[in-house]
Amino acid sequence: MNLKKYLTLTRAGIIEALQFRLSFLILVAGNLLYLIVTYFLWKAIYASVETDTVNGMTFTDTLIYLVLATALYGFLEMYLVWEIGRNIQSGKIVLDLLKPMPYRRYLFWSYSGSFVTQFFFTFLPTFIVVSVVTHGAIPLGINLIWFAVSVVLAVVINFSIDYIIGTVCLYTESIWGINIIKQVVVLLLSGATIPLAFFPDNLRTVVHFLPFQSIYNAPLSLLLHANPDWQTVCSTLGLQLFWAAALTLISAAFWNRSLRQITVNGG
Amino acid sequence: MTQKGLRFYLRIYGKILAQDLKSKMSYRADFIISTIGMICTNIAGFISFWILFSRFPSINGWGYYEILFLYGFSLVSLTPVQCFFDNNWSLRQYVYSGDFIKYCFRPINLFFYFQSEVFDVKGLGQLAFGLGTLIYAWVKLGLGFSVLMILKMIVFLLTASLIMIALQNAAAATCFWIQNSFYVLDLVMRFKDYAKYPITIFNSVFRFIFTFVIPIAFIAYYPSLVILRPDAVPVLSWISPVIGLVFFWLSYRFWMFGALKYSGTGS
Repeated sequence: MNLKKYLTLTRAGIIEALQFRLSFLILVAGNLLYLIVTYFLWKAIYASVETDTVNGMTFTDTLIYLVLATALYGFLEMYLVWEIGRNIQSGKIVLDLLKPMPYRRYLFWSYSGSFVTQFFFTFLPTFIVVSVVTHGAIPLGINLIWFAVSVVLAVVINFSIDYIIGTVCLYTESIWGINIIKQVVVLLLSGATIPLAFFPDNLRTVVHFLPFQSIYNAPLSLLLHANPDWQTVCSTLGLQLFWAAALTLISAAFWNRSLRQITVNGG
Repeated sequence: MTQKGLRFYLRIYGKILAQDLKSKMSYRADFIISTIGMICTNIAGFISFWILFSRFPSINGWGYYEILFLYGFSLVSLTPVQCFFDNNWSLRQYVYSGDFIKYCFRPINLFFYFQSEVFDVKGLGQLAFGLGTLIYAWVKLGLGFSVLMILKMIVFLLTASLIMIALQNAAAATCFWIQNSFYVLDLVMRFKDYAKYPITIFNSVFRFIFTFVIPIAFIAYYPSLVILRPDAVPVLSWISPVIGLVFFWLSYRFWMFGALKYSGTGS
């Protein structure tokens, strides 16, 4: 595999992202506001119980979990469904299909640039701030490595889900509706809005069998435990690996099948 | 701008609305999926509270049904902005491409004409879900029922809806100065998620900000107190209709100020 052509796309993505400095500032302001609301909300929620720990999560744990979930969201949300949907509607997809690399790979690597910028400008600062504010409540050890591996798998899983949903746009001509349904389902069932630890037991069992929890819950749970036993690490990463492989295959197959369906109006 | 009667504008609105609906009906699948998506978002909000309250007894002294009342109230008062002012999202594209100039040449109010062009039907799904939640919470709380209460509800819901309209108008109008107002709009859209929490969870600084600077506390919290806690209604609740009108008027002036300095793209 000639990596150079892919890294060129990464570079283009970084340059593109750095062009929009004002929007970046507004994005940071928005995240900050979200963090403030989350902080006060959960403080009020924890004030209503006598104990410090609820379902194994302290207030600090919950805060770290939710704040980093938001930082991950900036990282994972690629507006891929919009991109695919718009390209189908405008007909630009024809040009992308003619590019000398598979469409799927082209999309992934065009976004890889924004992974880099998001990591350095959103995730890392958030991580450091949270780490300082909570007085080192995030354990810094072997868990960081598991977290990193887990995030990479989460990116692959999330990308595949987006790709499947984007493919659905070939049939429906609806982007907003499809995308919002996906977003709602993923954010709720992955534990990004409320940590999975607080879910009622039977619901949690169901959610555990779905791929969504591998996106936010898996990496964040691995991060929050200083010395997780091997069994937890293996089962979490194993499950993620399974979903990453399965969804990659499914999304690729679904796309290839659907491509025969495509009707492009002009372009 | 010559003064024309309300009836004149209502008649025009009816005509433009009919055209918009006709064009929407040609994308029936999109319409259905979008409505389902809208309801999904609302259900997810409902489920989040359900999950939260399965583990925690209250938020800052607010019980499950009181929080649901706030949530329902916010959904209903956020319906008008969704239904009648959705064209604000396209404003930046019209301004950027230069098509905005067409609105400047009509002998009717510029702001009215621009907003009247789009009626977003999926907002009606939110209205139905919001009303359902509101009535459910109302009955469960045993709030009683009288004509006066219904009148109060209608007045307070209508004026509360002006707050989000004002915020969105102002956010959309920023595109007359900065190129891409999407991030500003997106940021403001996130505010409406915070409207469903009681303002008392914040400390005094943020209570002040969310009351007078970004007045989201007037979307649901202050107006609902009139019905929810009729024994101790703060002054701010009673003046919330005035606040709504003032903010709407200010945003209208701001929007028009931007629109009138618009000089086209020269094409």
